[in-house]
Amino acid sequence: MKDQWTDRLSEYVDGDLTATERTALDAHLAACGACRQTLGELRRVVARAQALDDRPPAADLWPGIAEHIGVVSLAARRARRRLSFTVPQLAAAAVVLTFLSAGSVWLALRNRPALPPAAPGTTAVMSNVGMSRLDARTAASVAALEQTLARNRDRLDTATVRVIEKNLGIIDRAIRDAQSALAADPANPYLNQHLAQETRRKLELLRQAATLASVRS
Amino acid sequence: MLMTLATIAALGIAQQTDTTIPVRAGARLEVSNFGGEIAVKTWSKSAVRVQATHSGRDRISIDATDQYVRVKSEGRRGPSQLVDYDITVPASMALALSGVYTDISVDGSQGEVTAETVEGSVKVSGGAGNVSLKSVQGEVTLVNARGRISLNSVNEAITATSISGDLSAETVNGDITMTQIESANTDATTVNGEIIYDGTIKDGGRYRFSTHDGDLRVSVPEKAGVSVSVATFNGDFSSCFPVQLSRKTKHRFDFTIGSGSARIELESFNGDIRLCRPGQVAKGKHEDHDDQEEE
Repeated sequence: MKDQWTDRLSEYVDGDLTATERTALDAHLAACGACRQTLGELRRVVARAQALDDRPPAADLWPGIAEHIGVVSLAARRARRRLSFTVPQLAAAAVVLTFLSAGSVWLALRNRPALPPAAPGTTAVMSNVGMSRLDARTAASVAALEQTLARNRDRLDTATVRVIEKNLGIIDRAIRDAQSALAADPANPYLNQHLAQETRRKLELLRQAATLASVRS
Repeated sequence: MLMTLATIAALGIAQQTDTTIPVRAGARLEVSNFGGEIAVKTWSKSAVRVQATHSGRDRISIDATDQYVRVKSEGRRGPSQLVDYDITVPASMALALSGVYTDISVDGSQGEVTAETVEGSVKVSGGAGNVSLKSVQGEVTLVNARGRISLNSVNEAITATSISGDLSAETVNGDITMTQIESANTDATTVNGEIIYDGTIKDGGRYRFSTHDGDLRVSVPEKAGVSVSVATFNGDFSSCFPVQLSRKTKHRFDFTIGSGSARIELESFNGDIRLCRPGQVAKGKHEDHDDQEEE
């Protein structure tokens, strides 16, 4: 059940309501069991989100990338963190956080060659981020790996470099196609999924190339 | 590059190594090679025979314990350049084969197989349990395997035939052809290539096929119960049998056949998507029953 106050509960939790609104909502909560229950759930989700540990996985690739692209420290990020979500966003966040936690463990356990370890104090870019930041982070990671590959390309056979660049070009074309289609139809789930898939594929190929370069060196 | 390596190798006197080592059940064969070939076949003996053709400047090193037999080559002045291995192993022996400019082939294995190369093909007949084949610049071919199958290439095609088990296939620039597949979990993706799947659709199974520039041709057995999700941007959908579309949006629609307990996702950005019966996926469009819609 939803009423006019349901979507304001997040602001209530964050203390963003005016005094008048807060008084009115307090009165409403006294009479509305559904809103009281939702409010309790919201507070539990916020408490769990704030309690999550941002510690990076031991074998994660990202600390090296984070160091390379100059991501801000964990302390600074925590200081800047401000939780202000709508009810649907919080519900989605709970699901995303669950998957990200599982993903971090998976990354930690996966036997993947890692870039040089991050300096103390650098932050794992992977943890506790929203989906839009995930996209931005992926783009940053792609850029960082492209730079790494450009630096190390002389360690690879020229034929291998040609093949990798050719296939990166094929993926780039697919990414451009998806972006063009999305410009005309931004809410299309298939196009969004397709763009994400091709971006991930590019990331994987760049990682593979970086691994080959490190093995050859 | 291979030509260069062959020339360098020819400067040394060609030499043969032929050694047979007894092995215990459960031992694993590990071979690493820079350039040349690794060819593995099987026999009924509890022994590994290593035959190698190489330059007289190189030495073949075989390190054997109860757990593994490790084969590699060493040059007098650093890594050896070009070695052709012909290795015979017990059929159940696990294999870990790797190379750089190396073609890899396995015939008759009944054990786990891991094979990775950069510039060269990987062709495996047999394999059970975890089977993982990778090449950057070569074709990857697997026949008669069962278990958890992972096939990866970058710039070439992937072919899987007579496979039983979970199957994952991914390339960037190449076709993926899967025939005679018995699987409840199959995932195949390419960017620039066609995907063909001719196999079973099991109750509760999950199947995903995705390409950017290429057609999809997928078989659905007559009695299969499956929910199908189709997405294409510039392509068409057709079917060898009547289907009733539901939940249709601009670039995506669904339909259900029978119980719908299995799930198939079909996605091609620029290509056509076609469903047929097993054995028909290579046929033309003359039997189409597309656009049987129910709004």
